[in-house]
Amino acid sequence: MALSPFGSRSPSMTVHSPNTAIRLRATAAQNSVAGSTAAVAKPMPDGDRELTEQLNIEVRERYVKDKKVGEGTYAVVYVGHLQDDPSSRVAIKKIKVNAEYKDGLAMDAVREVKYLQELKHPNVITLHDVFSSKDQNLSLVLEFLPGGDLEMLIKDSDIHYGVADIKAWMGMLARGVWWCHENFVLHRDIKPNNLLIASDGEVKLADFGLARSFADPLFNMTHQVITRWYRPPELLYGARQYSGAVDVWSMGMVFAELLLRVPFVAGSTDLDQITKICEAFGTPTEDNWPGVSKLPYYIPTDKAQVVPLQGRDFFLRQFPTAGPVGADLLMSMCALDPRKRSTAVQCLRHNWWTMDPRPTQNQDLPRKSGGTQKMGDDLTRRGGELDEGMFKNAARQLDFGMK
Amino acid sequence: MAANYWASTQRRHWLFSREKLADIREALWEKDKVAHSQFPLPDQRLLNIYFNQQLIKLGKRMSTRQQAIATAQVYLKRFYTKNEIRQTSPYLVLTTAFYLACKMEECPQHIRFVVGEARGLWPEFITPDVAKLGECEFALISEMSSQLIVHHPYRTLSELETELSLATEEVALAWSVINDHYLTDLPLLHPPHVIAIMAIFLAVVFKPAHPVTYPVTAQSALSGSLMSEGSGLQMLAALSDKTGSGPPPKIQKLIGWLAESEVDIKAVIECTQELVSLYEVWEQYSEKNCKELLGRMVKSKNLDK
Repeated sequence: MALSPFGSRSPSMTVHSPNTAIRLRATAAQNSVAGSTAAVAKPMPDGDRELTEQLNIEVRERYVKDKKVGEGTYAVVYVGHLQDDPSSRVAIKKIKVNAEYKDGLAMDAVREVKYLQELKHPNVITLHDVFSSKDQNLSLVLEFLPGGDLEMLIKDSDIHYGVADIKAWMGMLARGVWWCHENFVLHRDIKPNNLLIASDGEVKLADFGLARSFADPLFNMTHQVITRWYRPPELLYGARQYSGAVDVWSMGMVFAELLLRVPFVAGSTDLDQITKICEAFGTPTEDNWPGVSKLPYYIPTDKAQVVPLQGRDFFLRQFPTAGPVGADLLMSMCALDPRKRSTAVQCLRHNWWTMDPRPTQNQDLPRKSGGTQKMGDDLTRRGGELDEGMFKNAARQLDFGMK
Repeated sequence: MAANYWASTQRRHWLFSREKLADIREALWEKDKVAHSQFPLPDQRLLNIYFNQQLIKLGKRMSTRQQAIATAQVYLKRFYTKNEIRQTSPYLVLTTAFYLACKMEECPQHIRFVVGEARGLWPEFITPDVAKLGECEFALISEMSSQLIVHHPYRTLSELETELSLATEEVALAWSVINDHYLTDLPLLHPPHVIAIMAIFLAVVFKPAHPVTYPVTAQSALSGSLMSEGSGLQMLAALSDKTGSGPPPKIQKLIGWLAESEVDIKAVIECTQELVSLYEVWEQYSEKNCKELLGRMVKSKNLDK
């Protein structure tokens, strides 16, 4: 008997900190003590650890690293293969633990391992193994995805693709997202360069560094997630309780970008992003989105500047290639009010998928060489970052203290 | 809860049969008989009670979710199926399990803060060097094969609350029974829904006998802490107090529901037994004794270094 884990009551009762002052003092005291570091020793003598150590070595020795394909601030990615099968290919993502040893293991790494261990789906990157190496680094053995990512295909003007190809890619994306949501996981960083392509053309959702499980009802989450251009209005307005609808908005933005071949709403700051969203889709008001004005960062717009909510004809005009039914699906993904936005499963049930043209078969999808390098870059990036130099360091504000 | 229990690593890799668990422990004992005779430790359950109390103390001044404490307890259990406790510094492992569980349950605490709190509680066992906790975290993750999501029975309880029309105090009691099951091996032996049903069963069956005593338990459960020592005795008293009259409608409903469900009734009964014997063992619990034995072990083996 499978019991749904949904419930009205949540196991999130907190043991409240009685006194913030004590807490602060403790931290301060700790900071001063920590200066005088004692000699680092192994956390426990080796004694009985041979067995598990052995297992770890076995896993480690099953793989051979061939060459480095990417290096970022927190991880290095290698292409490798199985020891006993030289024709196999894997990507080995080595997380630099030592760099941040004093802060414990980075939350990104923890999240990635945590979710990929449990989520197995054709449209989610597969985690084959995890092992630790001699220098106490954690290595993730991931599926090898030499096809690069969707961003690469969108940006390359030599690549021509049509609506049938978009349908195939979007279908795979939607299935991946649906699977995450079905398993109560929010991805929170969907964007073209997190959508990697396997050698058979299959699209795989990667980078779970910002993922988390659905919060218990009324439990706050951070709104500082999702790369800006793909971030939904409710997060820009600072909502702390949200749902899978945030990922659906990102999916809609990817859809629009696939159609236009440029990011559809590309703000240079968070404020600019919300302005651009208003210009494009209409200004959120209490009429079209009840409750919006209560969100923490909501900014009322002058009556004169209110853009009316865009209807179907706008989407038809903006995205003629999608066709009327495709435009309709896109519109349902881009509803300003998250409650009116389609869910992943509703997206999958849309007529568009079954209409002509049918989605392209994977083997016939456009592809591009140089994907291995791109995979290397994608797997080393930290969540929430834009690649563009001008926005460096702007997007990532994830830190402790937030939920 | 994330992901599906039935496909989870918990079900596939961290569910043992009683025999298997006994074999594992036997193997650990075989490996180091000397240490075992040299450093006797109390019954595993008594140690668990001690660890749990320490975890609660540790979590007290941070706003920690009950679920993080539960996850930390499961991590401890998993870790000690692969490692002999006499080879580790239990206080360090405890602190690390807590730190990692907080991250896992989305209520992260800063490593310095955790080390600071732990040092405040056990200054002789925790060094101020945060890197040690970092290292131990790493070891903990590797030992658990990076399988970190723990499915807890709390959700099932919430889910069934309306289905079985449970009263608030019944839910609260069941909740504290779930809290207590982390003191036994049950989290390694049975899936969470079986535990939840066992807890509901105990709560519904034994509540009517002692309506007065429960607010205390419920309250302590709601504040996220463990049932007081006395409540174990109350449970025992309730058990022996059971009279033979026909079951009231609520119990009948529960029985009907159970009969129609495909829940493994035998497993539920086994869990009940386990809990009852926990409450029996609890009477021998002495914090001082646990503390002394552990302290002697850590000190003389220099495990804190």
